Amino acid sequence: MANRPLHMTLNGQSVGPVEVPDDLPMIDYLHEYRNLTGSRLGCGQGICHACVVIVDNPDGTSEEVRTCITGAHYFEGKKVRTIEGHASRDESGKVTELNPIQQRFVDEFAFQCSYCAPGFVNAATVLVEKLQRQPISKSQLEAVIEDSLGHHICRCTGYVRYYSATRNVLTDLGLVKEG
Amino acid sequence: MSNRDISRRSFLQGGLIAGVSVTLTPLSSQALAALMENSVTVPSEQWLGNNGKARMRNDSLSKVCGSKVFARDIRSKDMPGWPHQQGHAMLLKTVRADRIYDGFDLSLLGAELQPDRIVTAEDLDRDGIVFPEDHAPDPLLPTGKVPMFIGHPVAILIWNDFERFRQAKNTLKFNDKAIRYGAEAPFYTRDPYGSFRYVRVGGATSADEDEFASLKDSILFPMIRERRPVWNAQPNLHGNLTERGLFYADRMKQQLETPPEGWMVFDERYKTPSIEPAAMEPDNGNGWYDPATRTLHFVVATQCPLEAATETAKMIAPSRFGLSTLNMHPGYTVGYGSKDHNIFVYYAALAALYGGGVPVRLANDRYEQFQSGIKRHPFDIRYQLAVDKQDHSFKIFRADMSVDGGGRINYSPSVAAVGATAAQSIYYMPQNDLQVTAYHSRGVEAGSMRGYGTLQSMAATEMMVDEIADRLGIDAIDLRKKNVLLSGMKNTQGAVPAGALRLHEILEKAAGNELWKNRHALKKQEDAKDPDNWYGIGFAICQKDFGTGSEAPMASIEFTADGHITLRHIGIEIGTGMSTSQALVVADFLGNPASEVKTGETEWKELQLTSSGNPYLMSQAEQDAMLRNPRWVGKIASASSATNSAYYFSHATREAARVLFNHGLWPAAVEIWRQGPFGGQANPYVLRREDAHWVDGKLTANGMEPLPFAVLAKRAHERGLVTGATVHGFNRWSWAEAEYSINGVRERLPLDGLAVKYGDGASNAIKAQMNSAGFHLLDRQNIAYPATQLNNAAVTYYSPVATLVELKVNKGSGEVKVLNHHSWLECGRVLVPELVKGQLEGGIAMGIGHALLEEMPLYEGGPGEGDWNFNRYRLPRAKDVAVWTQTSEILPPLSPSDPSKGIAEVVMIPVVGAIANAVAHAIGKRVRDLPITPVRIKEALNG
Repeated sequence: MANRPLHMTLNGQSVGPVEVPDDLPMIDYLHEYRNLTGSRLGCGQGICHACVVIVDNPDGTSEEVRTCITGAHYFEGKKVRTIEGHASRDESGKVTELNPIQQRFVDEFAFQCSYCAPGFVNAATVLVEKLQRQPISKSQLEAVIEDSLGHHICRCTGYVRYYSATRNVLTDLGLVKEG
Repeated sequence: MSNRDISRRSFLQGGLIAGVSVTLTPLSSQALAALMENSVTVPSEQWLGNNGKARMRNDSLSKVCGSKVFARDIRSKDMPGWPHQQGHAMLLKTVRADRIYDGFDLSLLGAELQPDRIVTAEDLDRDGIVFPEDHAPDPLLPTGKVPMFIGHPVAILIWNDFERFRQAKNTLKFNDKAIRYGAEAPFYTRDPYGSFRYVRVGGATSADEDEFASLKDSILFPMIRERRPVWNAQPNLHGNLTERGLFYADRMKQQLETPPEGWMVFDERYKTPSIEPAAMEPDNGNGWYDPATRTLHFVVATQCPLEAATETAKMIAPSRFGLSTLNMHPGYTVGYGSKDHNIFVYYAALAALYGGGVPVRLANDRYEQFQSGIKRHPFDIRYQLAVDKQDHSFKIFRADMSVDGGGRINYSPSVAAVGATAAQSIYYMPQNDLQVTAYHSRGVEAGSMRGYGTLQSMAATEMMVDEIADRLGIDAIDLRKKNVLLSGMKNTQGAVPAGALRLHEILEKAAGNELWKNRHALKKQEDAKDPDNWYGIGFAICQKDFGTGSEAPMASIEFTADGHITLRHIGIEIGTGMSTSQALVVADFLGNPASEVKTGETEWKELQLTSSGNPYLMSQAEQDAMLRNPRWVGKIASASSATNSAYYFSHATREAARVLFNHGLWPAAVEIWRQGPFGGQANPYVLRREDAHWVDGKLTANGMEPLPFAVLAKRAHERGLVTGATVHGFNRWSWAEAEYSINGVRERLPLDGLAVKYGDGASNAIKAQMNSAGFHLLDRQNIAYPATQLNNAAVTYYSPVATLVELKVNKGSGEVKVLNHHSWLECGRVLVPELVKGQLEGGIAMGIGHALLEEMPLYEGGPGEGDWNFNRYRLPRAKDVAVWTQTSEILPPLSPSDPSKGIAEVVMIPVVGAIANAVAHAIGKRVRDLPITPVRIKEALNG
């Protein structure tokens, strides 16, 4: 299998070019080449969404992309955010601030074992950012959350606190209009 | 003498296992963290609220940032001192069980992708590897044999680099082209894994002496003939125990066959599916064997780190490799039981051993996890229950259960026994005959999975009781109230459950629920409003045991002179939040939670414990003989499983904290309060230890000046009082007790091991006593161990949950949609409400999956063939669980001194029965096989 150079922006940093096999899944690139293991392997067939990262598009939108079924080279030139990049850290690497979704998941005991938490954080972060560009009405709130998080599988929590924490973040950030 | 002849009795002395020095440094530990510049739990200042309650889990920062929390996250470059090169391994498996295995041929990989090392059965034999007996025989199938089960591993394949491993694995997966199959052969067979019979005939009332019962008399064990249980003994009221038991069993059978006029005899069959725990973290391990120092460094995902360490050391030490040191690093993990007593750990250790000095990672992908991860296979249940038609009381309960135990024994005998002894659910049964047998099959290995047999048996019991109520034409909750166990009444083994039973309280609440009261009218209304669906409401309640009947918690608490509290604990954090809750338990006696928590600790040199024999099987005489050794305990350490953290782990934590209070903090406080002439501020009042209270982190009693913990800690150190305590407990349905002389004060404690540390200011003579790994190991006196006969009790600790479900069934498709549910839970004293509710929410989701969605073929076409994943095994999503609307309530404790009861498994069970009963209410027919799929609904409707 041939190798090709791969370059991307990963958590705000330019990474590469590095020679990477043509058919290498992105999740393997993250785990074995970048030692970023927070995007977790749940199924390997794009069902559970534990492996998703955020891709920031040039038009200002963002989306979650499953790394277990997407080749690393798909991300050539793209801006990628993984779970490891959300929190602010000081020079020693200690976390100084979580993003609003992370903070709320912590405050509301949203996860248990946390294997799926990075996927939920990424999906909910994309949702927050989407609604920051275009808020929704209250009557749409639950359906929108279901749409964003509905594919994500969790085996520990029964989803209740992930969903209510996400709803609370969106409300508290003023991203939900009356109606 | 070959290595295999070496005695398998396990002796653990100090930190040596089979002559191997074992250290266990969890990934979460500060020691390793300091080296890795990483840490999982944070100090209590960060997670504790001003009200003394947890405002977040103490591991949440690491987890929410995707830090390297799981063993699966680790690569060799993350581990201090390991070579950077990371090798990878996979298991090559047969996928047929009907042919002789004739070897393998990897030529399809081409020269480039050949493994750098292959390990076969012949290698293990030649090299003197002594695979753990509990997971034998044939961990790797030798040529010339028929596989024991579909998916039987034949070789470990190891590559020194990731890319060739990846490409080779891509070539090998989803096919068995590399396997050479020989002639057709009959399936492998062996005797059943276990067979048990629980017979009880109570007295006139539960309080009267039993005529016969497992606890007072005996559990009955059959002979095995042609792979099936048979009863050769003759029923005889005046014979030996088995003959007497059979007499009563026979009499019950006759009464059920020709019942009295006023009895109704219910007789139906229930079947459960083959299910997958589907922990999101698949099995994995990563290890490096350094031949120069004969050291195995091993990062591993396990719920039983001590067992894994012990058996790994014993496996490798006698081999040609040798083993001087095992450095094990258990990660945070998740398993629901599937990482307890799991053969995978040993494959991972072997992969590391044969790595030729290169660290090797063995990590299942999801297909492999389905193929070999521990399952729970079907229970095939026949229930008979005789009921008095007049007063609706239960008379005789008879159960006959066949359990498919899969390809290796694992815990299937125990699961079968626990399932049978739970079958009574919440009801008093005046007489019972419960038979259960766990059989080998060619299915994937089965073992511990959430519910442990009680999910299977109790869900069926709740379906049965509901149907009986229907046939009698009475309210199903009224029928339950009539037969509910009350405090002090006996279970089906003749044992009395612990403490107060509050089942009747829950039933009263459920009976008063508006949905339940109006369910028939609501159904009419909803069916009319929505003609495409049938609407139904169902209820179920059960109580489940927590603990295994052989629990051995260990904890150690120390505080420094400046008030820093450290808790070490054997518990592994598997998502339950035990690292948070145990830190809080410390505050019961120290007024403040532990600042630092180390979980997964299995190095307890200070206690110098030794253990031998099987606590479930040993005779009383054997136990009495063992107890003459003051260091002998029935079991060294519990796994993190069986819902054992809230009660059992808390026991050790509390007892350690209590020792520190009684012999460190309280004497320090008294000395401070008595400062001044004539006994200071304490003199005018009467000062009693039992009147002590912690208020806002300060100690006061009988009106004394509140003293901050830091002040007390400083004084305790200055005076050389007790400032550290390590404890070990043993529970066989009650706690072992012994007397200890602590700093000259004699106390009887529910502990069988105790070591203490004295403060900085202790005299040299006292400090000299701290010669057991820095602790003073105290000798126990007058040890009293739970009688071995208590093994027959099978269970005495219970937690109850009830669930009410609303659902609809689509008339066209037969799909069931859960609309809403409400649950009641009683768990004694709640340690952290969010963690308890989280278990309930998660357990209910898993129960919904079990009731409606999850099943797999047992054998051919099933997961053993290596191509199952979440596209075929349907897990519940948020849309399936009434995520926005579900509600629950936790009953308040009877008093602040209620123990905390374990609930992590029971929470998933009532919802299953409630769904089945709601479907029956909806469609007017009973579906007794799970899951209740559209196909089964249509079959029921069409007769």
